[in-house]
Amino acid sequence: MLTAGLILLGTISGCSSMGVEPWERDILAKEEMQLTTDPIEAATDDHIYFSKEASSGGRGFGGGGCGCN
Amino acid sequence: MAAVLVAAAAAATEARNMKMSERRSITGALAAATCTLLGTSSPEPVQAQEEPGWDFNTALLYYGEDNDRVQDLSLNVLARRTFTDDRFLTLGLTFDTLTGATPNGALPQSVPQTFTQPSGRRTYTTAPGDFPIDDTFRDSRVALTAAWQQPLRRLSTINLGLSASAEFDYTHLGLNAKISRDFNNRNTTLSAGLAFAMDDLDPVGGTPIGLTPMRNADNDDDDDEGGNRGPTESKDILDFVFGVTQVISRNLLMQVNYSYSDSSGYLSDPYKILSAVDAVTGDVVPITQMPGIDGPSHLNYYELRPDSRRKHSLYTQAKYYMDGKVLDASYRYMTDDWEIDSHTLELRFRWPLSDSRYLEPHLRFYTQSAAEFYRPSLIDGDPLPEYASADYRLGDFDAITAGMKYGWKTGGGNDVSVRLELYKQSGNVSSSQLIGNQLNRDSYPDLNAIIFQFAYRFGM
Repeated sequence: MLTAGLILLGTISGCSSMGVEPWERDILAKEEMQLTTDPIEAATDDHIYFSKEASSGGRGFGGGGCGCN
Repeated sequence: MAAVLVAAAAAATEARNMKMSERRSITGALAAATCTLLGTSSPEPVQAQEEPGWDFNTALLYYGEDNDRVQDLSLNVLARRTFTDDRFLTLGLTFDTLTGATPNGALPQSVPQTFTQPSGRRTYTTAPGDFPIDDTFRDSRVALTAAWQQPLRRLSTINLGLSASAEFDYTHLGLNAKISRDFNNRNTTLSAGLAFAMDDLDPVGGTPIGLTPMRNADNDDDDDEGGNRGPTESKDILDFVFGVTQVISRNLLMQVNYSYSDSSGYLSDPYKILSAVDAVTGDVVPITQMPGIDGPSHLNYYELRPDSRRKHSLYTQAKYYMDGKVLDASYRYMTDDWEIDSHTLELRFRWPLSDSRYLEPHLRFYTQSAAEFYRPSLIDGDPLPEYASADYRLGDFDAITAGMKYGWKTGGGNDVSVRLELYKQSGNVSSSQLIGNQLNRDSYPDLNAIIFQFAYRFGM
């Protein structure tokens, strides 16, 4: 837990040197630059691969809610 | 899947919020600049709010496997209501219709094989050389999700979600919560999420007791569940997700997530079996049925998996903007205490053809190692192992997906897209796990599937 906390602090402080100013967000604000551009496609793909493979989750919660696996 | 839907919706909402806050600051700046130029004072305070209203994402999906295996037709609707003060309600509905057949886990033989249907009422027979498939599989599924998002403080957001789904033999109820906080001028976002699900199984014909021989068919239509059948089963799933999203530069965004998932309860597949084979020939042991008895022609056992599973995943995603084109790359490593390790690499490239049309090729590579208790068969006469499954999804296999999406904006500003993808799984059973004649026959049911999706997004 302590290690996780230190890594987290390190990440935050390390990340502080990266990034952009608020007026430089024109590209990041584009729809195609969002992490999930198509929530339904993401959900249906997760559902298909959850049903056919032994792995799930990663992007979000691990899934479940299906008798398919 | 319901939890995934909520998480995906939450991610999209989060992303849109980031975008919205920018749109606001740009609007504010433009308004102020215009007023300065015109030499007037602002007529009223600039409202920093997205217009309240509904946004609908809808999709129709067809998933079809070759050789008359599983076919799924799925209708999905995700409706998002925007309220004032950055509050959002997201409601999801999925309706699936599944038909077709799925490999039951038994090995192909040079003679026909007869099996008892899961219901225990009838038998079905597989031709020589074919993978035994249970063609009585038919199901429909309804899943509902609801999620509420609102700011907690200036830099924090909370998401609360519910999910529920019902199938003929399965019900799911889940709750989830996620908190996010922005740091470093909103260039870094940390998030922590928790999900809990309670699932109940009521298999057709009762839950089989693991590692007992397949029962005979009773040839009547009563729902008696005697013999080696157990009661309704359940499982609980607890998930944690911790994530960091970081703006690296004006055109590069990255995310890293660690997730932990703990499942406990009945984790076996009640419809999967293993062949019991001769220790020398590797052929499945035949059974001589008494006259008048309808039952399996060969010796098979119901599978049994451990009653707990702990998975760890590390997921990383990058979005990179290159002169109008966007590369979306992600990688996931998963490991669990069933000794399954998997690697998933996914690439999408959004390539604009004009202001309103784009093409998006997609490639996905997946590989996994087998569960420690995966085995193609049980050896007749040997003591039964503690756990065993011949489910191809727990075996050692590679998979590739290749697809293309074409999207465009309608005259009314709505989004339409169509995508077609091919999915191929190729498995490998270690030769040390194969005996005698098994070395000359297929031991893994490879899979080819197509995915077709039509999506339409509109606002009201």
